[in-house]
Amino acid sequence: MGHWQEIEHTADLALHVWATDLADLFATAAQGMFAFIIGDETVAHTHTLTIKLEALDVETLLVDWLNELLYQTEVAGLAFTSITFECLTPTHLVAEVHGGPISRYSRYVKAATFHNLAIIQTPEGYETEIVFDT
Amino acid sequence: MVSKDDFVRINDYVWELPQAFDGRMRVPARIYGNEEVFEMAFRDQSVEQLMNVAMLPGIVKYAMAMPDVHQGYGFPIGGVAAFRYDEGIISPGGVGYDINCGVRMLASSMDYASIEPYLKDITTAIFRTCPSGVGGKGAVQVSDKELDAVLEQGAEWAIAKGYGTRDDLQRTESYGRIAGANAGAVDARAKERGRPQLGSLGAGNHFLEIDVVDEIYDPAIAEAFGLMRDCVVVQIHCGSRGLGHEVCGQYLHVLQDAPRKYGINIPDRELVAAPVDSREGRDYLAAMTAAANYAFANRQILAHFVRRAFEQVLAGKVRDWHLHQVYDVAHNIAKIEEHQVGTQRLKVVVHRKGATRAFPPRHPDLPGVYRETGQPVLVPGSMGTASYVLVGTESAMENTFGSTCHGAGRMMSRNAALKQMRGEQVRAELSQQGIVVRTDSVKGLAEEAPYAYKDVSIVVDSVVGAGIARQVARVRPLAVIKG
Repeated sequence: MGHWQEIEHTADLALHVWATDLADLFATAAQGMFAFIIGDETVAHTHTLTIKLEALDVETLLVDWLNELLYQTEVAGLAFTSITFECLTPTHLVAEVHGGPISRYSRYVKAATFHNLAIIQTPEGYETEIVFDT
Repeated sequence: MVSKDDFVRINDYVWELPQAFDGRMRVPARIYGNEEVFEMAFRDQSVEQLMNVAMLPGIVKYAMAMPDVHQGYGFPIGGVAAFRYDEGIISPGGVGYDINCGVRMLASSMDYASIEPYLKDITTAIFRTCPSGVGGKGAVQVSDKELDAVLEQGAEWAIAKGYGTRDDLQRTESYGRIAGANAGAVDARAKERGRPQLGSLGAGNHFLEIDVVDEIYDPAIAEAFGLMRDCVVVQIHCGSRGLGHEVCGQYLHVLQDAPRKYGINIPDRELVAAPVDSREGRDYLAAMTAAANYAFANRQILAHFVRRAFEQVLAGKVRDWHLHQVYDVAHNIAKIEEHQVGTQRLKVVVHRKGATRAFPPRHPDLPGVYRETGQPVLVPGSMGTASYVLVGTESAMENTFGSTCHGAGRMMSRNAALKQMRGEQVRAELSQQGIVVRTDSVKGLAEEAPYAYKDVSIVVDSVVGAGIARQVARVRPLAVIKG
């Protein structure tokens, strides 16, 4: 199972993510991002969305994935805490995400950025660091 | 690894990293600030990010960091760089997600004593009428067609709808409407995000503040700006909301293939760039300008509701509650400008990311009311501390492409700030100082607490020492509405 840790950043928010495989990396990154947004709050699973994305490479796919979730957060006020990937390649994903309305925001996240973004393969799986504009 | 020993001291306020330090840099990098500020720049990734900027094609003179510099993503915050229009680039990473995040200042002839009994009521009235926080809907709802008009007409649209007077436009950077905006270059998702948010403050470091002028440094210019000692002013700090964020994201995609297509080496993917005069570059400029216009309209609408709140509370109690506009400046933007570079008059795209335009007296882009004084520069301090009104100088024009600092500049992460004090404690401390606070995010108070930022006076002393702005007045907060 993947895990994440917040990294110190002067102005914005940043995450270090460790995961066993790509699906785990994408799900854990989303989990970390929503932990910034809703803190310790929980959301009911009242909404299900299917997200389909294509990208040039895996880093872009990760940024697109997180920004797609942020878009849903902003326009519909939803957080997603359960994620299932039906398909995930370095350039394509289909995911079913479950979540519900946010009752109390902990932090505002504007966007996931490409800043120094690199997904690294390690003997244990994958690692990356993501900087969020806040 | 770059260190301060690699820099050359140009004078007490300018430090230069020679181009030769890294073969990829096309120009030297310069940090503006006194020795204390200069040393602070090495606490995080600011200098590395500044060096990345110096590597971009077509950069002119220097990659520059203002004294409020701190680590961002892409450009450092406090970064200024100009690129040749004919052979340079434009980069969304040089503007950021909150396009035209900026500050508007309104001033009055009411002294603090006359409104003190009503301060809490005014603050509450503003908090009610100017939506703030995450996910908040704006004060004004517009159709898709009206949103396109907002994007192309900016604050002019808001004035035509009755949210202010034409005099406000005179006192807004670029008259509140930057030419060349194209609503068609902004995608549907950006519009979907931005349409319901028009007339809202947002969250994060955005705020609305009621202040009192507590120091006048230049009486003649302060008078021209309409600033009087002991009188009440208002600051509105916000930007283009979700629309701007989405435009930045959209064009990071559109430009993704541009470096390969045009043979541009970029040191960081967030600095993805295209030639200014390419299809991708022109489209980004048109969309970014549209988002900037949205931000001007947004602050115009908020100013209207602030004025209405003052009127609602003070009518019949105070003689003149009118709030006239001092100025409205952009802090995150890229603009086409002409600058003198050596013997050449060059058309350039000036990227200011966390920096303020600071044009000098008699600059042709300034309105008649400020032609002889120079452009007002608004530098908000951190929450609960002083803010400054400065004025642009000829030296800024010669040295920094008419740019100066934009604020105090963070020096502590949000987590580190939270470890220092809880939000309720910060609220209590502000109350002890007599500052009224309204917010939906108590945690946000701790993240934005004054100790998380540099002392704004050091930043201002540095720009004044460097000659890239002059002091006009200082204000201190009476009430804060934090998004």
